Amino acid sequence: MRKIAAAGFAACLFAGPVLAADPGVTDTEIKIGDVNILTGPASFIGRAVSIGSKIAAAEINAAGGINGRKIVIATEDDGYVPSRSFQALKKLVESDGIFALSGTSGSANILAMLPLIEENKLPTVVTTTPNELVYTPVRPSVFTIGATYQDSFYAQVKYIHENVRQQNAVYGVIRQDDEFGAAVEGGYDKAVKEFKLKDGLRLRFKRGQTNFSAEVLQLRAAGVNALVNGGIIAGAANILSEARKLNMDLAVASVWSEDMPPSVKLSQPAGYPYILADYVALNDAATDTYVEKAKKYLSADEVGGINRYSYLSYVGLKVMAKAMEACGKELTRACTVSELRKIKNFDTSGLTAPISFDNEQQLSGRELKIYQLDPKAGTFKALVDFKRY
Amino acid sequence: MRTGHFKESYGELVALTDSSVTRAWVGLLVVALLLLPLVAGNYGLSLATAAMITVVGAVGLNLLTGMTGLISVGQSGFLAIGAYTNALLLADYKWPLLASLPASGIVAGVLSLLVGVPSLRLKGLYLAITTLAFAFIVNHVILYAEGLTHGPNGVFLPNASLLGIDVSRDRPLYFLVLAVTILVVLAVLNIKRTRIGRAFLAIRDHDIAARVMGVDLVRYKLLAFVISSFLVGIAGALLSLQIRFVNVDVFGLILSIEALAVIILGGLGSTAGAILGAVFLSMLPELIRIAFSTFGSTQSVTYTTYVYEIRGIAYGVVIVVFLRFKPDGLIGLWRDVRRYWTNWPLAY
Repeated sequence: MRKIAAAGFAACLFAGPVLAADPGVTDTEIKIGDVNILTGPASFIGRAVSIGSKIAAAEINAAGGINGRKIVIATEDDGYVPSRSFQALKKLVESDGIFALSGTSGSANILAMLPLIEENKLPTVVTTTPNELVYTPVRPSVFTIGATYQDSFYAQVKYIHENVRQQNAVYGVIRQDDEFGAAVEGGYDKAVKEFKLKDGLRLRFKRGQTNFSAEVLQLRAAGVNALVNGGIIAGAANILSEARKLNMDLAVASVWSEDMPPSVKLSQPAGYPYILADYVALNDAATDTYVEKAKKYLSADEVGGINRYSYLSYVGLKVMAKAMEACGKELTRACTVSELRKIKNFDTSGLTAPISFDNEQQLSGRELKIYQLDPKAGTFKALVDFKRY
Repeated sequence: MRTGHFKESYGELVALTDSSVTRAWVGLLVVALLLLPLVAGNYGLSLATAAMITVVGAVGLNLLTGMTGLISVGQSGFLAIGAYTNALLLADYKWPLLASLPASGIVAGVLSLLVGVPSLRLKGLYLAITTLAFAFIVNHVILYAEGLTHGPNGVFLPNASLLGIDVSRDRPLYFLVLAVTILVVLAVLNIKRTRIGRAFLAIRDHDIAARVMGVDLVRYKLLAFVISSFLVGIAGALLSLQIRFVNVDVFGLILSIEALAVIILGGLGSTAGAILGAVFLSMLPELIRIAFSTFGSTQSVTYTTYVYEIRGIAYGVVIVVFLRFKPDGLIGLWRDVRRYWTNWPLAY
């Protein structure tokens, strides 16, 4: 009796779930997961991501789906908190039974989800947070689209050095004290060393800081006239506003989130024609076509929420769909991953550079386009087309 | 014979319970928890594991704030210390889990002395602000001591094993967390009935009177901090085992506030209350999800889309309602229900 009880307990302890064929695929639909920031101050990012996935799914479904199967998006909110991202993905995998993952929230959030993604061999396309830690080391089922912040700031400092501040330039950087800020400073550092630039001052600040008067005074005291602004949205705008109060003559490099309408609205009054480098198109024929397409599937309110993150999640899901389509009727996660690896020069209609995952890091779309803000009109003009740095 | 509050021996006075009914219910609960993996899926087990980790942390905080009356809003700092200690010892120093798990508690306990010392002179809001500052300092140190903590990049945990069993899988982790939770609850219940526990209660009720009666305030206040932080550190280590990635963003200050909400809702000072509060608030999002899903798929999608806003509102409403109508918390509600049925049909 004791042996039977022990065997029962051991079975209960060690037995794993009996897995059928890959979950999330039926004869009529494919369920794709989306973990996103739908609540809190950064929710406009998550909503834009969801809008992009929605457009892609609607477009694919309108064209007959993937080998006759419709795409269904299952979305979970994580509120931008990594431990919640883990629980949200756990629910999507274990309870909703998703086949693959498209929306992956913020940097720390995707990192918190990676162990679960690896364990379930979940085909995943990361578009919004191309953090180096996502693809180093390479996770077999994870594919990344996008340039690093490091590349973005290197490209901008290079542009400023070659075209804006050719003489008497003193460079400075102000950045957050987290992994994002470290990447910003990494790009700055690379450019400073490579072009032997005068490194005036490097400052760190805590995420959420709103008053930058002391920091900007330090920048002025150091004679900085070419600034790498590592603030995001309100933070970036406050830095520029303080600089304007001191009448500082600045060439400014910015984070790519500064191309979104809410960011522009906040930064515009300071009047700095800041530049930024992004791996997604901002305001050209590609985005116009996209918005026209979106109007077919979305409400006017949703169309108003479109920004760079919508373009990216759209591209991510389209790439994923291409790989799933190549698997035919016998759709499995292993096949999808294998087909994603074969993706080469996938045309995104100009939203990003063509996507190719046939490289060791399973990383693509690293080419950056440099833009400059017209502070009066609140629009951007392209300075340099998509280029790899 | 069971005689209410009348005790006939010292043994009865310090026994965990003198009720065979209570023993039977607790036994049934433990058996149910042991059998849960047979009926619950991996998501259910993951939720149960998260709830038990919250129980460990809440019981630890309750010992400090509920039993000793020392308000701490720096628990996210101790949680981070425990999680980082476990993660770094497993990932960088290749310690076995059997050593890294208690080490996480010990490091948190030792570092709590830094906050414990000011607590000898500070009380109430002043102490709360001091502990809050400690949580900020912990975050700052983690971010800047990159050589030790990997800075903002965080730490990925390797697959940890205990006695040859891979605890990164849902079931073994569930059993590990269940075992730790039972040990922690038993330990705290026992501490409460010792000289130490009575000293804690005396300090909470009136520290000057306690001192007059011979309670060494320095010793017992520091001890409360050390034991509480040890337990919160263990909770942090368990959390790191579940998520398998630690980063400062995981340990936001909101966790400290939520922890206080848990013990207030459960019933300050009561271990059973801390357990009830932790389980209730951990399961609240799922309860709301079930409620929404019963009203159709549109409501279900609305909930999924705005889960944390709805959860935040539900947290607030539940806490306000309890503070207004049931300040004793869930444990007070439970006592009322029990008294009603015990005295039925002569309940009043």
